[in-house]
Amino acid sequence: MRLTFHLAGINNQNFIMRDEETGTYWQQITGLAISGPLKGTRLTLVPSDELNFATWKAEQPGGTVLNDIPKYAAEYSPENWDVRMSRAPVVISFREHGLKDRDLMLGIQAFGVSRAYLYAQVKKEKVVKDYMGGQAILLVVGPDEESVRAFRNRITGTNQASDFYRIVANAQGSLLMDAATGSEWNFQGCAILGTSKGQCLAQLPMLKDYWFDWRNYNPTTTIYGKK
Amino acid sequence: MIANSPQRTRWISGLLLLTCLGVSLVCVVYPVYVIRPFRAQGAHELAVALVVSRLRPAVTVVSALVGMLALAIYWRVQPRWLRRILPAIGAVMILALAFLARVNIYELMFHPIERASFSPASQVKLDKNEKVIAVGIGDQARAYPIRSMSYHHLINDVVGELAILPTY
Repeated sequence: MRLTFHLAGINNQNFIMRDEETGTYWQQITGLAISGPLKGTRLTLVPSDELNFATWKAEQPGGTVLNDIPKYAAEYSPENWDVRMSRAPVVISFREHGLKDRDLMLGIQAFGVSRAYLYAQVKKEKVVKDYMGGQAILLVVGPDEESVRAFRNRITGTNQASDFYRIVANAQGSLLMDAATGSEWNFQGCAILGTSKGQCLAQLPMLKDYWFDWRNYNPTTTIYGKK
Repeated sequence: MIANSPQRTRWISGLLLLTCLGVSLVCVVYPVYVIRPFRAQGAHELAVALVVSRLRPAVTVVSALVGMLALAIYWRVQPRWLRRILPAIGAVMILALAFLARVNIYELMFHPIERASFSPASQVKLDKNEKVIAVGIGDQARAYPIRSMSYHHLINDVVGELAILPTY
C-alpha cells in the first residue's frame, strides 16, 4: 500500500509524520509507526548520501534536482543555517563522552551495533578505519573535504581488512589506494585502477545527526575514539 | 423545593453544552500543548496526544452535533434573549473547534510540497557547496537540496517506480 505523508508534529526535536490513508503517526528518524493502525510497522530505509552538490553532479551528471517552490523560497534556510542551528537550544540532553548536544555526528547502525563518529574528527582524519560488531569498516571524506561515505572494508579475494590511504586526486577520480591490492578507488568505493578494478565496496547507511538526537534513539551507541 | 421542569432542562442542556465545549477544547488544545517545538515530550503524554489527535476529527464532530442539540433545547426553554447569548457563543466555539481539529498547524508553519518538479543537474544553478540528499534508484539519480528540505521536511516522491519519502 502506498502511503501519502504529512508533517504532523515533533517529538523531542525529531519530527513526526502522519499518513493520509490510515492516520498512523510515524517517527522520522526511525521510520517506525508509533501510533495508529500501523503501529509497529517500519518503513524501509532507502540508502542515501548527504553530499555537496558539485560532488553529486560530477558523479551523476544525468541526475535530476528538486526545484524550489517559488512561493516558499523566501522561507528556505539561509546559507549559514547550520551555524545558526548549532546554537539552537535542545530539550533533551546527553552530556556524555565530552560531547556537546549539537555536535554533529555520523551515525552507523550495522552488524548489530550502533556507533557514532564526530564529524569534525572524521573530516580531519579523512580516512577512518574502524571495526563495528567485529567487521572492518571505512569512513571516507570526499574530494570536497565535506561529504563522507561509509563502507564495509572488505575487498573480494582478500581475507582481512585492507589498509586504505588517501592519495592525491587525479583526473580519473581516484581518491584512495589500498595496501592489499594496490588498487585505486574513487569516492563511490569502486576500484577504478589496479587488480580490483570494477569491484565496489559495500556502502553502509550512515546518518549525519546531532549528538543528542543520535544518542536518544541509540542509547547503547559507542563513540569512535572514546571508551 | 423541587426545580420545575424548564429550569431543570436549562441546567442539563447548559451542562451538556459546557461538556461539549470542554471535550472539544481538550481535543484541540492538548495535542498542540504537548507537541510543540522546544518542549520536551514524555513518552506517555505523547502517546496520549497522538491518540487524541487521531480521534479528534470524529470526536469534535460528535461534540458539535450534541452541542447544537443542547443549544436548541436550551433556547426552547430560555425565553430571555440576553441569557441565550452565552450558550450561543459556546456553541459557535464548539463549531470553530470542530473546524480547527482538522487544521494541520505544522503544515501552516512548514508548507508541504504539493507538486514537486525537477530539473536536470546540468540546468540547475546551485552553489557547488550546497548540501543535497542524494538518492540513486536503478539508473535514476535524484538530489534534494537540504536548504529546501529543511523547510518542507518531507516530500512524497516516486523515483523510477519506487515511491520514496525523502525527509530532513
